[in-house]
Amino acid sequence: MTSALASDRRFWQRPQAARHAIRDKGEGVRETMLLLEGVRCAACVPAIERALDAEPGVIGVQVNAAARRARVTWRDGQTSLADLLEALVRAGYRALPLDAAALDDVRRRESHAAMKRLIVAGFGAMQAMMYATVLYFGGHDSLDVATRELFRWLGFLVATPVVFYAARPFFAGAVRSLRARRPGMDVPVALAVGGIYLASVVEALRGGAEVYFESVSMFVFFLLVGRFFEMRARHRAGDLTDALARLTPPYADRRHPDGSLERVAIRELRVGDCVHVAEGGVLPADGVLLGERCVLDEALLSGESAPVARARGDRLVAGSVLLEGPIDLRVVGVGDDTVLAGIAALVGRAQAARPQLAQAGERAASGFVIRVLLLTALTAGAWSFFDPGRAFTAALAVLVVSCPCAFALAVPVAIARALAVLATRGVLVVKPDAIQGLAEATHVVFDKTGTLTDAAFALDRIEIYRETTSGEALRLAAALARESRHPVARAIAATAADGVVEPAADVEAVPGLGVRGTVGGRPLKLGRADFAVGERAAQEYDEEAVLLADETGAIAAFTPTERLRTGARDAIDALGRQGLRVLISSGDAAAKVRAVAARLGVTDWRARQLPADKLAALTELREAGARVIAVGDGVNDAPVLGGADVAVALAEGAELAQATSDIVLAGARLGNLAPARLTARETLDILRQNQRWALCYNLAAIPLAALGFVPPWLAALGMSMSSMVVVLNAMRIGAGVEPRVRARRDRAPRAAVPA
Amino acid sequence: MNVLLVMIPLSLVLLVGAAAAFFWAVDHDQFADMDTPSLLPLDDDPARPP
Repeated sequence: MTSALASDRRFWQRPQAARHAIRDKGEGVRETMLLLEGVRCAACVPAIERALDAEPGVIGVQVNAAARRARVTWRDGQTSLADLLEALVRAGYRALPLDAAALDDVRRRESHAAMKRLIVAGFGAMQAMMYATVLYFGGHDSLDVATRELFRWLGFLVATPVVFYAARPFFAGAVRSLRARRPGMDVPVALAVGGIYLASVVEALRGGAEVYFESVSMFVFFLLVGRFFEMRARHRAGDLTDALARLTPPYADRRHPDGSLERVAIRELRVGDCVHVAEGGVLPADGVLLGERCVLDEALLSGESAPVARARGDRLVAGSVLLEGPIDLRVVGVGDDTVLAGIAALVGRAQAARPQLAQAGERAASGFVIRVLLLTALTAGAWSFFDPGRAFTAALAVLVVSCPCAFALAVPVAIARALAVLATRGVLVVKPDAIQGLAEATHVVFDKTGTLTDAAFALDRIEIYRETTSGEALRLAAALARESRHPVARAIAATAADGVVEPAADVEAVPGLGVRGTVGGRPLKLGRADFAVGERAAQEYDEEAVLLADETGAIAAFTPTERLRTGARDAIDALGRQGLRVLISSGDAAAKVRAVAARLGVTDWRARQLPADKLAALTELREAGARVIAVGDGVNDAPVLGGADVAVALAEGAELAQATSDIVLAGARLGNLAPARLTARETLDILRQNQRWALCYNLAAIPLAALGFVPPWLAALGMSMSSMVVVLNAMRIGAGVEPRVRARRDRAPRAAVPA
Repeated sequence: MNVLLVMIPLSLVLLVGAAAAFFWAVDHDQFADMDTPSLLPLDDDPARPP
């Protein structure tokens, strides 16, 4: 530990390493963003803050438990990044400085600007409405011209910042999309906002009949609310997906020809370098094993959690965890040449090939607005023919009464509400399209390892060969198992955790085979059969079992099994009750998949599936007309997830899969999927209601306005009320919660806080 | 109606004040982390290392 600390320290003192992680804020003030490991709850926050604050020269510490990040600013010369990391280790937390790019605050600026715009629009709309009330209800006769003028210009005063500051993203978006020759929703919105505002200014200047400053402010405010919630949901999901920061370590130990080690940054590694990896470490690059043998956990790449033995000359892939080592390896691939990067590229292709779900609502609204603009022009033309004096008023009434609010809001407000509701229930939607896919899905394809089962093993059964109790055998085995990192050993130790375990002496771990040591004066071995009882006697025992033996022979055999994820059975039953077909597709052996499928009551399963097979099976299903939800976990699922209609990843799994998924189940709670689908269906229902309402309202109101029956003040009121109806209707999403879902929510009040 | 001469400027001052206060709060990261502070009071013994 101490030596690792010291080399860590040397590494972060190197200017090349620190340059990427530290930002100079000027006047000797430095800033860095740390990704914290070991933060389990908010209670850790004060401990971390105290640990850092105690360092001399630290100016500011900001810990976000949800994002597991700390932003630290300090004065150079009084302390250093290495000192800060050391202080954290002393407090019990490992911290990884993120690339300074994480500090670049694109997101922070975006969210600050969005909040300011929202508040300007909110206050503006509120005040404009207040002043407009005077105009509406002050009575047209009792209000003298001077007062009327005063309130109009007050409306102008508060609406101007709303239009020029808060609504700027709409104008910018409209210009951008017009430049790209792909007009989106921003174009009609910008036209409507700009048009109503300019018309109101003109009306106010020439003392005309009506102004609409409050309508335009309300419109902008409602639209911003929708966008704000969308942005929040996007950021939240992004917090949990720190793709490359955790998949590969930031540095490696390079071995020089003279045998000495030097800690260098990953980007300094070259093909041909010799790299040393300590037990428990993560391989920094693809390489060839130089030692005799080692055991790796390649779960990140294969999705299978089993330890894999590798011998001299085998190719090892970056991102694997070294279970038994230490090893040296010769680098054959770095950066973009690694297998991991190849998988990431595959993901990119799968995503690009994926049909973009149509933003049908937005297109409908755009088309609608274009028609309304034509209709407005037509109205103005027709009236100027019959009665030029009423042309402007009637045209404005059409523009205002039909203002795309209800249409434009119908989709985003419902989606935004659904995103917010789902986020509080542990379901983070990364791509809003996924809500539609979720609601319309017909099939669910689950990966097995790491999705339906835990990454860890559990003890299935214990066989006893001597006159002893299974509890006694377990205690002896646990004494040795505690000294090993092997997943099965961990399972044995965890099973015995509640009993009293004697300490073991003279413990020696034999890589790939087992552990030997003395417990209570008795020499014991725990491990593979050939290790525990010798080659000849080994044939009598199950190959998968782990044996506990003394000099005279076997005492007990422990058979490990994969542990089903908590709630997996309930989750699958719930999905089945909703009429979804559940399939299991796994890269694992048929016997293991069959066993898991039987325990879950799933009849449709495929074993030995490579990522390409899984993708082909998905494509086949989709060509047959099925809408498929793929639920996965490992990186090898990522291309598969990308090829499904809706990709769902568990937040505990490999980060890359999350980055490519549409939905992330926080805390890896499978049980949240079925209720989320109900919410998605409810969302679509309400969304359609909203669209129908918008259509009916507009069909009823526009002809009246075009014919000149609607005074513009009534038009503005109608527009505001119609969008209020849409917003309030959307708020019903998630209001009627199943009691079961509520209970689950109480246990996990915040999705993003790691339990 | 003369009270309007007081009320209107007052409403504008309050409006600007509220917006300014909110801008200050946003710029000082008061909304950066909406999850952690609500859980901090549940920490029984702040002096205890976790």
